[in-house]
Amino acid sequence: MPSAGKTKRKKSSRKRSELDSALDQVTDESVAASMKEFQDLLAQAKGDTSELIRQNAQELEERLVLLKQKKIDKEDFNFFVENQKRDLRVFVDSQPAQSQERAEKLTLHILEIAATKIVPVLIMMI
Amino acid sequence: MNPNAAKDLIVRNAFLCAAAVVITSCGTATFSKTGSDAQIESLRNFELAFIDEFAVPGKRFNAAAFDTKLNQGNAKFQQAISDEKFTARRPVLVDLKGQFDADAAHLRSKASRGKVTPALASEMKKDVNKIYDHALGR
Repeated sequence: MPSAGKTKRKKSSRKRSELDSALDQVTDESVAASMKEFQDLLAQAKGDTSELIRQNAQELEERLVLLKQKKIDKEDFNFFVENQKRDLRVFVDSQPAQSQERAEKLTLHILEIAATKIVPVLIMMI
Repeated sequence: MNPNAAKDLIVRNAFLCAAAVVITSCGTATFSKTGSDAQIESLRNFELAFIDEFAVPGKRFNAAAFDTKLNQGNAKFQQAISDEKFTARRPVLVDLKGQFDADAAHLRSKASRGKVTPALASEMKKDVNKIYDHALGR
């Protein structure tokens, strides 16, 4: 189970966001792998050359922070994720075949991990 | 007039006619596109105003006023879809209608339970602006 204990994960050189700080408090091994995958993908997406991928990552992070701060609830978060998915499907489908897998991973897949793995952990931390 | 001169004249006139048709159709397309863009902007403004009116924290939910506005919105979107001259734009308008339906359903659910927050309203408007910008190719 997640706990608000001491950070065990190794710190990377990139700047820690408010979301990173919250996720770094998770010490439970069973969810740590998902947290790590999510943080890595989010960092990749935020540095991508595509503006749409960067924008999606930025919005996702902001909304996770809003959820953590109780400014929106889980229903709102899921509603926004569905909006983002609707908007992104056209973008992913329009990518060249060789880029589609990466585009999907950095957009729809991140949203899926956020909704299914990250949100339950954040809610337990509130 | 010698046969060559007559032939040149026919070719020249045919070319001028073709050019005129192309220029006229481009002008019409540009004009229609401008009208289509204006229609999308009008739908955006309606949806933003709808959110402003009903996504107000602490405001008592007025179901009758909500339904009236929702019906106005539905009629406005249906009219825009049937009036759209660019057939390629129709699916875009259908997508925008889908967003309006989703926004209305979420807003009704939250506002009727008094669960609207300032962040919900501002994030909803952010999404509306984004999807409309994408619809306009921006």
